[in-house]
Amino acid sequence: QDTVRWRVQSHWPNASSSFSDSLERLKTTLETRTDGRFVLQLHEAGALFPAREIFSAVSRGVIEMGTISPAYIRDRVSVAGIASGLPFAFRNTWEAAYFHKNLGFEEMIRAEVAEHGVFYATDKVYPTEMVVKSPIESLADFESLKIRSSGALQEFLTEAGAAATYLPGPELYPALATGVVDGAHWGAVQGAKSMGLYEVAKYHVHPALNIAGTDAFVISQDALDALPEDLRDILLNALEEQFWFRTNEYTYKEQIALAAAKAEQGVQVTRLPDEVAQHLAAAATAAWEKEAEKSEMAAEALEKLKSFLADLGHIER
Amino acid sequence: MSLELLTVAFFGALIFFLLLGLPLVFVLGGVSVVFLYFTWGPGAFFMVASQMWGSMGSFTLLAIPLFVFMAMVLERAGVAQSLYTMMHLWWGGVRGGLAIGTVGICAIFGAMCGISGAAVVTMGTIALPRMLERKYDKELALGCINAGGGFGILIPPSIIMILYSLITGTSVGKLFAAGVLPGLLLLVLISGYIAIRCRLQPHLGPALPPDERGTWSEKLVALRAVALPMLIVVMVLGSIMGGVATPTEAAALGVAGALFSAAVHRQLSWGMIREASLRTFRLTGMIVWILFAAHAFSSAYQGMGAQDLVQDLVSGIPGGPWATIILFQVVIFFMAMVLDPLGIMLITLPVFLPVVVAMGFDPVWFGILFIINMEIGYMTPPFGFNLFYLKGIVPPSIKMGDIYRSVVPYVAVMILAMAIVMVFPEIAIWLPGVLF
Amino acid sequence: MRVFSRYVEAVTALNNRIGHLSAFLVIPIFLLLLLEVGLRYLAGSPTVWTNELAQMLFGAYVLLAGGFLLANGGHANVDILHGRFRPRQRAAVDVFTSTLMFAFVGALLYFSSSMAWESVSRLEHSMSAWNPPVWPLRLLIPIATALLLLQGLAKLIVDLQVLFGRTPPQSAGTLSAEDAS
Ligand code: NA
Ligand code: NA
Repeated sequence: QDTVRWRVQSHWPNASSSFSDSLERLKTTLETRTDGRFVLQLHEAGALFPAREIFSAVSRGVIEMGTISPAYIRDRVSVAGIASGLPFAFRNTWEAAYFHKNLGFEEMIRAEVAEHGVFYATDKVYPTEMVVKSPIESLADFESLKIRSSGALQEFLTEAGAAATYLPGPELYPALATGVVDGAHWGAVQGAKSMGLYEVAKYHVHPALNIAGTDAFVISQDALDALPEDLRDILLNALEEQFWFRTNEYTYKEQIALAAAKAEQGVQVTRLPDEVAQHLAAAATAAWEKEAEKSEMAAEALEKLKSFLADLGHIER
Repeated sequence: MSLELLTVAFFGALIFFLLLGLPLVFVLGGVSVVFLYFTWGPGAFFMVASQMWGSMGSFTLLAIPLFVFMAMVLERAGVAQSLYTMMHLWWGGVRGGLAIGTVGICAIFGAMCGISGAAVVTMGTIALPRMLERKYDKELALGCINAGGGFGILIPPSIIMILYSLITGTSVGKLFAAGVLPGLLLLVLISGYIAIRCRLQPHLGPALPPDERGTWSEKLVALRAVALPMLIVVMVLGSIMGGVATPTEAAALGVAGALFSAAVHRQLSWGMIREASLRTFRLTGMIVWILFAAHAFSSAYQGMGAQDLVQDLVSGIPGGPWATIILFQVVIFFMAMVLDPLGIMLITLPVFLPVVVAMGFDPVWFGILFIINMEIGYMTPPFGFNLFYLKGIVPPSIKMGDIYRSVVPYVAVMILAMAIVMVFPEIAIWLPGVLF
Repeated sequence: MRVFSRYVEAVTALNNRIGHLSAFLVIPIFLLLLLEVGLRYLAGSPTVWTNELAQMLFGAYVLLAGGFLLANGGHANVDILHGRFRPRQRAAVDVFTSTLMFAFVGALLYFSSSMAWESVSRLEHSMSAWNPPVWPLRLLIPIATALLLLQGLAKLIVDLQVLFGRTPPQSAGTLSAEDAS
């Protein structure tokens, strides 16, 4: 029997915990379950394609598989903005997982992504959280913050009154160290750690800016269809398991990483004061409505989200 | 075809077409395209276009045109001339003094800038003509710019260190701190080499005849020439350290300082700006097109399965931990002759680092060895960025052969520096231990 | 034969004109970065657009240098052997090695066109907080590559003319006096 080899371009750098925990895990699972008949050749961030070109490369069938953030395809897939995280929507990771899998949100993403000849599978849901150099104690503190941000969250933080600015990854550490910016978000705890942010910013801010399915696998539909049936089943099952396994594991590792950061690097967790939290929640609903304007499907997804949040008692309807 | 044969053919083709005189950008790009076609299929060409788009969006590259423009303005405004006249008046009695001074300026530049290319082009523009005018040996002069121009990646801030930490999970702050003393060590060793060489062979870096060394009042007046360059250094370094600007943005402050200096020298004119812009355009275009093609080249090699080759190599290593560390450096050294630093990092580090850590070595220390090795790679033939950047600015009388030959003793000195850091790890890890 | 020389002159003049204009882009790039530093540090209100606009200008700036550099011998090469060849030998070698250049430029032209087509058809935006359209910049890649290809053909014509015993026009493949500075 022939061995199937897929080229996989990741958007994670090698040192990112997800490169081993998500991608290498999937590789090992597939090799074990197929007796080595299905092999993924992993390439870390930037090796073959820049992160934002991965989706195009998969869609064209140049590579069979990749990992992306849905934020990269916001202009092609109207619900990707919701997938990559509406600010201050979910309060717990399980809520985002339930919304994706049990309420059919992931199916909506899949339907839209399928138009590009791509199969989409969320790797995990997890929070995005800020780290800052000095604690935020009032609305005035928040509004005087210079925060390194990007994309939709940068828009949101700007609307909310902070000075949000975009800096590319390599500029982030020196900028935070010298005070060009006072705060930043890069994933949550593990992300901040991987970028060395706790060396120069000691306050970790709760609650999360968003909780979302920020990492996903994208697979060329043609490549998927060309797989022998047993391999395809093994792959699809492995991806489904992966979501639940990784979401839970990531939550655990966040907590462990935070405990270690507190103990070893003197990091303190601070909560946003009520006035700031309320201010941000109010600004957030405006951001949500913007996403709904993207398409009928986006409006439907937001409607679904709002009724879910109302059922949970997080918002009034 | 086996991966080993493919590797030989891939780099063989690179060297063959380079020697035939095809510009580097077309050699790198063309060899990538041909090999991608045979190993992957024409669909893979999409990679070339898409890597190019990625490089166009790289913010850190913006520092290149800005620092080059700064250098062109300083050159045209006569600031550079005054600075070297001053150095000659003060250092005139010291053989090789201008070259040592140049290496010193390179170190300051290294602290102002996180990448290598800008420093090479800047110093090649400012320092090289001044040294040649004063009858310095061209290989001595070219080599010291080649070597000093690479300081930017060892002396913080450094983009290469940040990439190293992203790939390996090492602390950026510790790496930055760890680079300082080895950077100074390199400065001392290279200056020492120049001083000794010129003492033995005075014609390489002739001293100023005693009657031209000037009186004390002339020397003091000449000191004014330091004021404007110092102002620029203070603006750029101050804005980085003071949290005013990122290292890339700080380059814009350097340009502002250069334009101000030109105004002080009464040289600020439309014609000067026009000429400086055109020369900046030529150099930046050349540099970034090489980067475009170099990224495609190392991506193509990775697409061919380079990492598997390195993996096999590592699993077959005999001998103890030290033999392994040395062998790693040898592998990196040879790769750096033909590949760009980012490509080498992506191919080797994920394989090497787990081994280094498992053997109980400090990844920060290994990082410094790696980065010194990258610095050497910037100037080892046949393909080193510094060599080609320098080739882009030197007068036509200087050939690539001169540039290639010029690096030999400096490479030896830098290997010595690497060996010293290897034997005395404290040089690298003492400062981060104190700071963190 | 006249038509070939005309072509060489026209393409070289076109690339020179484009180069001389694009060279000034370094000034707005400088001003934009300076503005952003000033606004963020002095006024405490960074913008979402200055750095990104500077980045886009940088993209255009370097792309358009490709053909201009070839027209002026500005792409660095190794001249160890090349410099020793007699003119006719050199022309023959250049004709041979140009195949590799055409392979690269041709592949780049084809795939950047297809990438640009995809981008234009969906009017691609950058997806940043500023979110400007980026399709014009994507479109510029095949345009700049085409300029490079045209100049490559001009160089090939000159090399063939040398190879078959005609003197080359001054403008192609050599430094013009103005740029030799
Ligand atoms: Na530096
Ligand atoms: Na090299």
